[in-house]
Amino acid sequence: MSKRPPITNRVRILREEHDKLSQAALGEAVGVTRHTIIAIEQGRYSPSLETAFRIARLFGVGVEDVFGWEGE
Amino acid sequence: MSFKEKSAWVMGLIMLATGLWYAQLVAAAPQAPVIGPLVPYVLAVIVLSIVAQVILAILSPKEADAPADERERAAIDRAGNWSGMVLGFGVITAVIMYIGGWSATLLVHAVIGSLIVSTIAEYALQIYFFRRAI
Repeated sequence: MSKRPPITNRVRILREEHDKLSQAALGEAVGVTRHTIIAIEQGRYSPSLETAFRIARLFGVGVEDVFGWEGE
Repeated sequence: MSFKEKSAWVMGLIMLATGLWYAQLVAAAPQAPVIGPLVPYVLAVIVLSIVAQVILAILSPKEADAPADERERAAIDRAGNWSGMVLGFGVITAVIMYIGGWSATLLVHAVIGSLIVSTIAEYALQIYFFRRAI
């Protein structure tokens, strides 16, 4: 079993702050499946830089406001 | 469960069932011409695969049209990489057995068997990587 990626994220919080945007709607907006959004939120998958930027831009924040390094 | 995972389950089960059937046909007449069990096997795989994919597409038309996303592509690529090693191992083993005295007929069956096993392994690994999320 591989280690979990050391990347934290606030995707779920940001979704809830944006009119409880659904995982499916977020996935569709950034070009991934709902299952990938679930995996990102659970910390099981680190998205590509492109998808990370797409998510951040959709919420109108910087990438570092969405993703962080574990322990920082 | 995502469409790609459902598809991997269905195709894996089709390959497993048809692979067992092929093994049964070969075991019944190991030295008979290869074409005997091969033609019905290939036809069965083609027909069952088309029927299964059509049914899956009817049940989830939107997902069926969508290309694999970045996580799914990574899972599919990694599964393909590992299953290629399974195929390579099977083919090399078959060739060694042929050099050691197996007939050409058995060599062909062993190579086809390796292809079947590697395909089953590919779908199983896809499911594993989809669930583990890479």
